[in-house]
Amino acid sequence: MERGFELMTMTSRERVLGLFEGKEVDRIACYSGMGNVTTAALEQLGYRFPEIHGDAQKMAAAGASSYHLFGYECAVIPWDMCVEAEALGCVMNAYEDVAHLLYPTIKEKIIHAPEDMSKVTIPPDYPERGRFPVVMEALGAIKKEIGNEVAVGTWLLGPFTLAGQIMDLNDLFKLVFKKPAEVNALLDTLADGLIMVAKKYKEAGADYITIREMGAPTDVLSPRSFKQVIKPHLEKIFSQIDSPKILHICGDTNLIIGMMNECGADAISVETKNDLVKSREVIGPEPLLFGKIDGYNVLVNGTPEDVERAVLESIEGGVDAVWPACDIWPTAPLSNLRAMVETVKKYGAEKWARKNR
Amino acid sequence: MATEKEQELLEKLANGVVNYDEEAVKEAAQEWLALGLDPNKAVFDGLVKGMQECGRLYEEQEYFVPELLMCADALYAGLDILRPHMKSEDVGVRGQVVMGVVQGDVHDIGKNLVKVMFEAAGFTVHDLGRDVPLEKFVEEQLRTDSEIVALSAMMTTTMVGMKNIIKAIKEKNPKAKIMIGGAPVTEDIAAKFGADGYAKDASNALKDAINMISSLRDLT
Repeated sequence: MERGFELMTMTSRERVLGLFEGKEVDRIACYSGMGNVTTAALEQLGYRFPEIHGDAQKMAAAGASSYHLFGYECAVIPWDMCVEAEALGCVMNAYEDVAHLLYPTIKEKIIHAPEDMSKVTIPPDYPERGRFPVVMEALGAIKKEIGNEVAVGTWLLGPFTLAGQIMDLNDLFKLVFKKPAEVNALLDTLADGLIMVAKKYKEAGADYITIREMGAPTDVLSPRSFKQVIKPHLEKIFSQIDSPKILHICGDTNLIIGMMNECGADAISVETKNDLVKSREVIGPEPLLFGKIDGYNVLVNGTPEDVERAVLESIEGGVDAVWPACDIWPTAPLSNLRAMVETVKKYGAEKWARKNR
Repeated sequence: MATEKEQELLEKLANGVVNYDEEAVKEAAQEWLALGLDPNKAVFDGLVKGMQECGRLYEEQEYFVPELLMCADALYAGLDILRPHMKSEDVGVRGQVVMGVVQGDVHDIGKNLVKVMFEAAGFTVHDLGRDVPLEKFVEEQLRTDSEIVALSAMMTTTMVGMKNIIKAIKEKNPKAKIMIGGAPVTEDIAAKFGADGYAKDASNALKDAINMISSLRDLT
């Protein structure tokens, strides 16, 4: 009875972080390791999407908004994939002048020819460059505002995905084949930089970090290439950053789920294309597996009933956290997002495989 | 009927593409021309056939993107040699296509692979590149009077923009056929956005495009 009472009053923060600490928690949490700001929140705050990437106060307010608006059990920043590359000297385009919503991209890269790969170095003050300080200031502000209630999350690109930001992707893919040693040397350097930043992010207030190696699913790279040029660097990163730490890879990951599980993360996050049941067959019941609500087709285009069905499918597939397959596309209606959270609350204990075995 | 020598060269071309062996492809293409044979045949029954096999290997998860990019390089090595000798009237299907990756998206690998197939099939390709603003597609379609506009997006976050482009082009020129493709695109989304075709991969894109052009010609 007493323990039941204790579980009943768990905060989102305790629920999210308790699972990583091996504590008994009351139910599956509904949160994310990736971006989840909504246009509803931006309208309420009076911000345009391009403004929230470079202003710590706006970033913090937007980052905390999903908790306030639909009870999401986390606050995650940033949203764009350019922070790491920008701090290395790349130039970002935030699409300030475009009316519809676009995520920033890199418009000027720093590697222009394969020979430039070996010239990339990580400056000693890397975490102080570009917008890293903005993210850190915002992490601190969020922590102060709602850090007692929800877990504060942030993320970094994996080294291969980051390499794709600082050089031409066509070249990078071909070099994986033609010059794997040179690619590995570059990725090793980038991994060092990411480790430095991950430590600073933790100090700044991040409770958990997701490494998003988005460019490495088997829609793109063979399991053999994954083993040769992706896995060693992920292993290095996860062995040197603090828990909780999650590995996310988009796209098709069933062929590499076993290797993902060996990278040293505390949890694996997969996207819609992953067959959860097959994944569990490979990795077994023990590893933490997070996923996989389609952040566009279901959360934007679906009905609340579609959302409920998708949540149940993920839970029944054996996930330990219901979270979206990628960023939540900001125009997702609040009714769908609330349905996601409510469905997890309703079934997150009863149907949670880990709790019931 | 292809002679034994022709057959051997066609296989060398196709295998050269599949094995991303640019040198073998170049040799075979040069030998083909030296024998005075029809360059169109070398492209369609050699290079394109090889690329279709690469597509199959990709579907079977034997080949992945790096392999496909190298296969495409091998195909181009052959095409560069053969194309100057191709007479346009000999090409079965001809048409123009405007293609590009939508604004906000800088991933152009898929688009480039589709482009290879269009070029090999004798289409005139107006390649707008990547991160292309909406208006650019509309203007280029009007300027070139292309039958087809092919839009690509690698990320969900940019796929959404396709809807507006399709609407804008259809308003200005209802006859233009629009096909969309890219990792997050599905048949459902294509239908929802009002696209005429959806291409899962490069060789499907080409098949679809050829069908679209034939249907356009039937109308006129």
